[in-house]
Amino acid sequence: MQSSDDVLKRNNVKIIGNGPKTLLLAHGFGCDQNMWRFMTPELEKVFRIVLFDYVGSGHSDISEYSKKRYSSLEGYAQDVTEICQALKISEAIFVGHSVSSIIGSLASIKMPDAFSNLIMICPSPCFLNIPPDYIGGFEKQDLQELLNLMDKNYIGWANYLAPLVMGATHSNELIGELSTSFCSTDPIIAKNFAKATFLSDYRHILKEITHPTLIFQSNNDSLAAPEIGEYINKQIADSELQLLDADGHCLHMTHPEQITASILKYINK
Amino acid sequence: MQEQLIAPHLSQYAMDDFPCGTFITDAARVIVYCNSYFSSALKWQHDALIGKSADIIFTPASKVFYQTYLIPTLLHERTCEEMQLTIFDGQGQRIPITVNVQIDDSGFIYWSFFNASKRDKLYEELIQARETLEEQAEQLKLLVSTDELTQLLNRREMKHRAILAIKQAIRSHYTIALIQLDIDYFKKINDSFGHSEGDRVLQHLGLELKEFARKTDLVSRFGGEEFLILLVDITQQDTLLFCQRLHQLIAKIKIGNSHVKVSIGVTMNTADSTFQSLYDEADKALYSAKHLGRDRTVLYAEKEL
Repeated sequence: MQSSDDVLKRNNVKIIGNGPKTLLLAHGFGCDQNMWRFMTPELEKVFRIVLFDYVGSGHSDISEYSKKRYSSLEGYAQDVTEICQALKISEAIFVGHSVSSIIGSLASIKMPDAFSNLIMICPSPCFLNIPPDYIGGFEKQDLQELLNLMDKNYIGWANYLAPLVMGATHSNELIGELSTSFCSTDPIIAKNFAKATFLSDYRHILKEITHPTLIFQSNNDSLAAPEIGEYINKQIADSELQLLDADGHCLHMTHPEQITASILKYINK
Repeated sequence: MQEQLIAPHLSQYAMDDFPCGTFITDAARVIVYCNSYFSSALKWQHDALIGKSADIIFTPASKVFYQTYLIPTLLHERTCEEMQLTIFDGQGQRIPITVNVQIDDSGFIYWSFFNASKRDKLYEELIQARETLEEQAEQLKLLVSTDELTQLLNRREMKHRAILAIKQAIRSHYTIALIQLDIDYFKKINDSFGHSEGDRVLQHLGLELKEFARKTDLVSRFGGEEFLILLVDITQQDTLLFCQRLHQLIAKIKIGNSHVKVSIGVTMNTADSTFQSLYDEADKALYSAKHLGRDRTVLYAEKEL
């Protein structure tokens, strides 16, 4: 059993700001808590912000990595609930990018008192096309191939990772800036994270989400189309969808001012 | 010097004669040039490529890879070598390729594509071999750490994990309990009912212990009919309650017309405990439980024992 201190060290937990309300920022696949750096300067004026790295990402304690635990998103959700326990968090706003939206949903179902709201940035509960009712965007063959390419480019892969598909139209300067080597990660761990992310289907948990939820989706995102945002919005009992006229899957990095302003407006409503 | 020796029209022929695909994309990733390898070997019409986004030849997975890895690498290193991707040929067939790419100061990207179908088969075999080895290593790890009969931790694994758990408890200032449990008159069970019945009792007991303990506790078969349990973050009072319930639970296991009974020795850690010191204490307490008539729990207390 891990003590609170061990959990905070394991997940490289950092706390900034000292507002009355806690905001838990959860990074997505292929990066770490640094991806929030464009939003935190504004948010920390209002909130107490908890940042962390999932085990296996960023500066987490890699010796705590367990292939079995982290082979499904429930293992990552356990990181979230353990951090909440360690910090005795209650009624926090969970903000998750991409796969972290689903991880946060799992955590909120497991530990409802820890959260007051969920905010999802470019979420997808399932990347697979499951016709006729659901178009996740990818055929199984495509997702298998993606994991396969991670294996085949094992040497060198993950040295410079752009946070998953920022969108092809952004300038080289921005892509270069956002893919500095701090995002680099262990390729085997990254592949397992990718497997847990891309081959899973968590559509069934959406109906179990009881917390008010704000969903941000990009108009042009090759990983999560606007229809996926609409699907999630329909499934969650108390939710609101904001569609941004933007390109890519990393709105919190490419459109931080817009996302921050929307979050503040939503919370103050 | 070299450039002066080759006439411009010859360099065009030379590009078309190379047995690999080459193309150039501009800063907007639009294809502005491709050599004839694309039509001769990859079945693309020249016009279907020129002026189009490079995206059209990549499979969806390669597109993700291209945006998240190839482009960032190119921007940081200016060059990118031996990247494995998959493209569609002009008829929609998937072709594994290796690409070497470099970017110039104006943002033009120069690509060379090599068919990697055979190399891809080798990679597949290597990946398969790595996965098989990983699975086998997992199985072996399980085999060397588990008791075959009860599926509990075996002696070696228990000792290893208990040492870590005790250190962790001392460091984090919580208390642990070490419980040594021994089946009363087990030899008689074996002698009277046969060894297979003895094994059934051990298995049944192992199952009960595993179900009753919390996930964070360590439960092991430490020797013949001896079980060792480490309870994490627990008070002395709760430990004794745990043992009391164990007696009740185990008494439900029947052997012939009677019920299985056990003797238990318990000890709680102090700041200077080690696995060996706790084991010795639990052992003394167990001895005392046996001495006092079995079917009971005795808590180790230095002065009394």
